[in-house]
Amino acid sequence: MKPFMASLLFILILSVGSTAMSASIFPYKYRTEKLPNGLTVIMIPVESPGLVAYYSVVRTGSRDEVEPGKSGFAHFFEHMMFRGTKKYPAQVYDSLVTAIGAKANAYTTDDYTAYHLNFAKEDLEKVIDLESDRFQNLDYEKAPFQTEAGAVYGEYRKNITSPFALLNEKMQDLAYDVHTYKHTTIGFEADIKAMPEAYEYSKSFFQRFYRPDNVVIVVTGDVDPGATIELIKKYYSGWEKGYVPPQIVPEPPQKKERTAEISYPGRTLPIIDIGYKGEAFDPESTSYVAALVLGDLAFGETSDLYKKLYVKEQKVEFIAPSIPMNRDLPLFEVYSMVKTADDVAYVRDEVYKTLEEFKTKPVDAKRLNDLKKRQKYSFLMSLDTPDHLAGGVARFVAMTGGLEVIDRLYSKFETITPQDVMAAAQKYFTPDRRSVVVLKGAQQ
Amino acid sequence: MKTALMLTVCALLATGSSTLLGGPTVSDDSFVLLPVKNDPTVSFRMIFLAGSQNDPAGKEGLAAVTASMLTDAATQRNSYEQILDKLYPLAASYSAATTTEMSVIYGRTHRDNLKEYYPLLMDAVLRPAFKQDDLDRIKSQMLNYLENTLRYASDEELGKAVLYTRLFAGTGYGHITPGLAESVRSITLADVQDFYKKFYTVGDITVGVGGGYDQALIDNLKRDLGGLPASGSRAAAPKPKTIPLDGFDVTMVEKDAPATAISMGFPIDVLRGTKDWYALAIANSWLGEHRNSSSHLYQVIREERGLNYGDYSYIEYYPGGGGFTVPPQNVARRQQIFEMWIRPVPNETRHFALRAALREFQKLVNNGLSESEFQLTRGFLSKYVLHYAPTTMERLGYALDDRFYGIKGSHLETFREMMKTLTREDVNAAVKKHLRYGKMAIAIVTKDAKSFKEALVSDAPSPITYKTPKPESVLSEDKEIGTFPVKVKPEDVKIVKVEELFQK
Repeated sequence: MKPFMASLLFILILSVGSTAMSASIFPYKYRTEKLPNGLTVIMIPVESPGLVAYYSVVRTGSRDEVEPGKSGFAHFFEHMMFRGTKKYPAQVYDSLVTAIGAKANAYTTDDYTAYHLNFAKEDLEKVIDLESDRFQNLDYEKAPFQTEAGAVYGEYRKNITSPFALLNEKMQDLAYDVHTYKHTTIGFEADIKAMPEAYEYSKSFFQRFYRPDNVVIVVTGDVDPGATIELIKKYYSGWEKGYVPPQIVPEPPQKKERTAEISYPGRTLPIIDIGYKGEAFDPESTSYVAALVLGDLAFGETSDLYKKLYVKEQKVEFIAPSIPMNRDLPLFEVYSMVKTADDVAYVRDEVYKTLEEFKTKPVDAKRLNDLKKRQKYSFLMSLDTPDHLAGGVARFVAMTGGLEVIDRLYSKFETITPQDVMAAAQKYFTPDRRSVVVLKGAQQ
Repeated sequence: MKTALMLTVCALLATGSSTLLGGPTVSDDSFVLLPVKNDPTVSFRMIFLAGSQNDPAGKEGLAAVTASMLTDAATQRNSYEQILDKLYPLAASYSAATTTEMSVIYGRTHRDNLKEYYPLLMDAVLRPAFKQDDLDRIKSQMLNYLENTLRYASDEELGKAVLYTRLFAGTGYGHITPGLAESVRSITLADVQDFYKKFYTVGDITVGVGGGYDQALIDNLKRDLGGLPASGSRAAAPKPKTIPLDGFDVTMVEKDAPATAISMGFPIDVLRGTKDWYALAIANSWLGEHRNSSSHLYQVIREERGLNYGDYSYIEYYPGGGGFTVPPQNVARRQQIFEMWIRPVPNETRHFALRAALREFQKLVNNGLSESEFQLTRGFLSKYVLHYAPTTMERLGYALDDRFYGIKGSHLETFREMMKTLTREDVNAAVKKHLRYGKMAIAIVTKDAKSFKEALVSDAPSPITYKTPKPESVLSEDKEIGTFPVKVKPEDVKIVKVEELFQK
């Protein structure tokens, strides 16, 4: 996954999820079951013409890569999950998925890995059979393992020509000292190069993390929960629990501002990324939930600064916030692509000035209410296919293990006041929590 | 949830316009309607046959700039900032997308907000303000894309752009939609206004509406869109001619690339809606289904050898392929190409990877599909097509494309029906008729192009070595791939510097 894309995804999920209703916000009835081995299954029947989405959410991502030299391994392992079992070797798995015309893929983020298939409802048992088999019985030889490392390197090479890939790599490395958010999801290049040597390690990765007590299955669409859970019990009950949580070292408080400048080998307009140490996802925390709305109010497309820098002065090609939801402490960021290098300092100072204003002046109540209305409609409009629904809740499921948190978060949104937003600005957006990276093109 | 649904697409045939107030109206048969009763949203797609092929010479990029000047800029009633403020609480938006043959203005709103949304959308199409500062902003973004992003940020998108423009050099298809840098710089407000008056006319529009709307909305659209400029007389853009291809026509883009991106292809004279197209779709899906491990090219180059992230093929124009998993809508063209897309491979394996792809393609052309390959792919597609358009907005896009291609009924339904009746013989006959080996354009983005050119024109062997063990079957096939003959004449290889592309 491209780290920058992952950041944008968080914004999307935020809009998906927030709404201003007070009772239950999540619009669908759903059923959650937990098997004795710890596997959680969430079934959300919704009207859809014979289509089903099936997501296996492993609550392990690049955050869990604690061993030195193993950055990027969660993503690499995602690739290995397509390399087959004794019962269904890779080519057989592929041909069976092909035979049912499923749309199947997987992705890895900082906090989780998701395997997803969309298919016709009559193929549900076949999919459960295939998925349960590879999650329990994955079996690959060293040679295909090493070949797959080449594909991962190819993915890295494909991505790294983007200036945003370089920028994010640098920002994470700069802002974190010990926490695993120090590396991007695809990992450091040196670690990707060394992946072919990590065959034995990959086996232990599977043993520790691919366990039922670390996985949530989300099934949406044209499904009968009663029949579905019986099938899942039939195929998954033999899977033994045994998740071993990694010892993730918390990031100590940052003491002073950090800055860096990097050079992009091609041509690009300069990009500035201003990141502040934020807070882990906590729907009960007023300041955290207020920060989730602050980003859009201060830097979104109806903000004064966006109108000033992008529309009126035309100093920037874009400016956008990223206030993510993460299991551990993420960066709250503001990105801007600036039209000339001479204006980078000006744009940076305008961002600082805006944040100072948010610390001292309550935001306009109408704008806050407009945002709440927007979130409600974004949410309602986004859940329009089984795939969008399952994909839209995947991060919540990964962070908390269930869907209940969605209602809690959105109820909290409803209570946020202009004073709360002001307090969040004061709490998080301080110089000592800040890291700034400026990227410039080497060729002009 | 909304999708229940009769995928009915009905072109309105009733003559309701006489009941409307006076003035010009958009005719009933300009509407493509997709009512979905349980859908709480309303989707709009308004198509104008105003694509980059209609850009005047020296003003390449004008169609795209004009479309953006409708949707990303002020109207006569609201400044751009006011529009953003008004759309914001609605969680609704509208946008423009320009491709070769058309521009589409599309947007979606929750029906609760339709009353507030509709006038904003109509203002955008009917009453653009065409202000200089908006034009400056939009041109700046396009120039940044042409001069920085496309040239440097994604070599595979760059390779595809070079292939598409090379095949149709000198025709309306011969430049990419964002145009050429010098041309974009020269675009004035007067150019935009002229283009709008000429192409955004009452007689040129096709209006698609889908979701949970009522008849009053359609009546309003007929009346309001009647306020578009009157249609003038102008000839349709000619169908583009392609460059003559006698062998391999190679364009190498020299840049400091960390890996080599390859795209190649040639024009084909087959369009969706015909039996041949669906037959060819089966062969193409087997060879290279987009972003899917069922792709044979993917299996050979990525899965068995680990050379890159993926390898695919196409029988329709598929812009922005890295960002989609299923085909985009409203990028229809009268002239299609067959294309193979080899994602970046290590520079030292570029010759080998090119040979591997060409060799597999030649085998398909010579041998067609086996019965088991045919059966597997036919079964796959009959269900996979279900994923092409799960939302109302996507189905509406397909319905409009059906209109473009003159398909009666639905392409997607026809697709599934054809999977039941086509035979292996049909597929292999379509392969023989429409695909050919040896006459194609190849675009390569790479470092040290000169040495690659020398290797290509001398047809030098390109043995491959791996850092990790491979099965004997792979190693023995590698010997055949590494010496697979690819005859390229020196005069048919052109090396261009990246900074010269898309300039003028």
